[in-house]
Amino acid sequence: MKLNRRTFLGTGAAATGLIGLNGLPLRAQDRTLNVTAYGGVWERAIRDCFVAPFEAKTGATATVSLGGPAQWLAQVEANPENPPLDVLIMSPDLAVIAAEGDLMDDFTVEKLPNLANIPQEFTDACLGKGTYFDYGVGGITYNKQVVSDAPKSFAAFVDRVASGEFIASVPSIQYGPTTVFFLWALNNALGGTVDNVDPFFEAMAKMKDNLVFWAGPNDFFNHLASGEADLGIYFDGRTWNHVDEGVDWISFINPEEGGAMTAVAIQKPKNASDLAWDYLNEVLAPENQSKFAEILNYGVTNTKVEYSEKLASRVTPLSEANLPPYAEIARVRNDWVDRWNREIGM
Amino acid sequence: MPKTAHVSARMRQALLLAPSLIFLVVFFVMPLVDNSSRSFMTEDGSLTLARYGSFLSDRFYLGIIVETVVLSAAVTAISVLIAYPVAYVLVRKAGRLSGPIIFLLIAPLLTSIIMRTYGWQVLFARRGLVNQWLVTDLGILDAPLRLLNTPGLAIAALVHVLVPFAVLSIASVLQGVDRRLEEGALMLGASRFRTFFEVTLPLTMDGIGTGAILVFMIANGSFVTLVLLGGGFQTLPLLIYQQFNTTRDFALASTMSTILLVIALACLWLQLRLVRRQGA
Repeated sequence: MKLNRRTFLGTGAAATGLIGLNGLPLRAQDRTLNVTAYGGVWERAIRDCFVAPFEAKTGATATVSLGGPAQWLAQVEANPENPPLDVLIMSPDLAVIAAEGDLMDDFTVEKLPNLANIPQEFTDACLGKGTYFDYGVGGITYNKQVVSDAPKSFAAFVDRVASGEFIASVPSIQYGPTTVFFLWALNNALGGTVDNVDPFFEAMAKMKDNLVFWAGPNDFFNHLASGEADLGIYFDGRTWNHVDEGVDWISFINPEEGGAMTAVAIQKPKNASDLAWDYLNEVLAPENQSKFAEILNYGVTNTKVEYSEKLASRVTPLSEANLPPYAEIARVRNDWVDRWNREIGM
Repeated sequence: MPKTAHVSARMRQALLLAPSLIFLVVFFVMPLVDNSSRSFMTEDGSLTLARYGSFLSDRFYLGIIVETVVLSAAVTAISVLIAYPVAYVLVRKAGRLSGPIIFLLIAPLLTSIIMRTYGWQVLFARRGLVNQWLVTDLGILDAPLRLLNTPGLAIAALVHVLVPFAVLSIASVLQGVDRRLEEGALMLGASRFRTFFEVTLPLTMDGIGTGAILVFMIANGSFVTLVLLGGGFQTLPLLIYQQFNTTRDFALASTMSTILLVIALACLWLQLRLVRRQGA
């Protein structure tokens, strides 16, 4: 084909047009919702447990965007008048920030009938602009082949790691939830408060020679599998997922002081499609949450959910976990991160 | 050439350049300007240099800048030192083996950097293959060495990733060196050692410079290897990621990324000057 100016301009215009069309928000198509999910098994669970019943009941379709809360919130902040996402899965601290920024809609039982069966404290924790639908607990995961008598509490964990009995893998500050499920939880267990995190940093100083840091959940599992660490701070659900995958040498303990409840919030950005309410109601429905819990091995928040026998023995009851004060933590979190950088390193 | 034909030719050239220019402006220049501008703006939109002032007057952050540059320089120096002999053998000695050697050099680049980094974890963990070999198989050590999360291993992993870039840059220049110049030096009585340092090496400075710049730039922004293998390094890319992922301080992240960019450009300029002076 001969490339002359006419064909060049024509092709360029067509390509630009196609790119432009492709860039149109999917929301412009009325019956399409853009929801969010983490990758891997999470995506499958979101599609099977929430997207499928939503599509069956409404006749609408839902596309699933993969990523993480910080990215999704930034996308909504960049275009609040026409948010590219209709439903956000959020970490509790970011849910508070999004609510404080008046970027999210209020959750009410009128809009979401299934919200009636979600403990009010979870909606309050999102300042009324969202609620928790799923939770895990951060505790002590250990290699049973190496650790015959695992520490039962955070305090014992610190003492025995400091003494050199174990090498522990703990989350690094590069992992978003670290400030809550590790820093706050350990500090709280050792007698600290949100405004006094000295106990945590003193404990880290004592343990420093026997610590390795994980930057992401897979990293932790590699540390245990390769023998780099004997035990560490991890999540209950992820531990049981490994067990279900055939890893029979791993187990989990919820420390006596109570691990931090690491919840997953769900929110609807202002100006997002009203179809989102139908989808959110499915997310909060007991039958869907029950199925979701079975896939992910995590607890869910609808009080009508009844776990299977296997799951009931694994899910840490809400009464045995501590609900972190996310709003208070959000206020001081950057100071904690800065202190961590200076005293422990990245 | 008639004036209209000249204009038409220039217009055709401009049109051919237009897609790449538009692409660069839209996806590189505009985001870069937008990102940097955040660091100069207060929340109410007025101009400020306060973030740069507080960042550059804090010894902790200055230490991070120094650590970033020193780490990149160390990785660059080691990579070039390893790459030169490999490139020399590849061009001058390998003969029919040059194809397989190039394949072996490039093959690791076809694997995800995350997979390669996890490979280092498996090899060098406390109960990994290397420690098992040293403690159990050879019995040289009583207890396993702590190799992961040490500076040496993090540097080694970065060098492993970046050496191929340096080898290929040096080899391409070495290939073009006129062998008669080296033969001339030998015939005039210079030793092989002197011939290498006074003829071959200066003639390949462009390749060394290109390889060093490539390696330095990539090392300067390296992230995954340092996150997964630790090593205790605190570098600007790690801190920038943290501002987006954990603290959501986008303005500070923008300040740091602008500083990283300026450092990279300054080092690029210095290296180019050095290489040109050496090669002159």
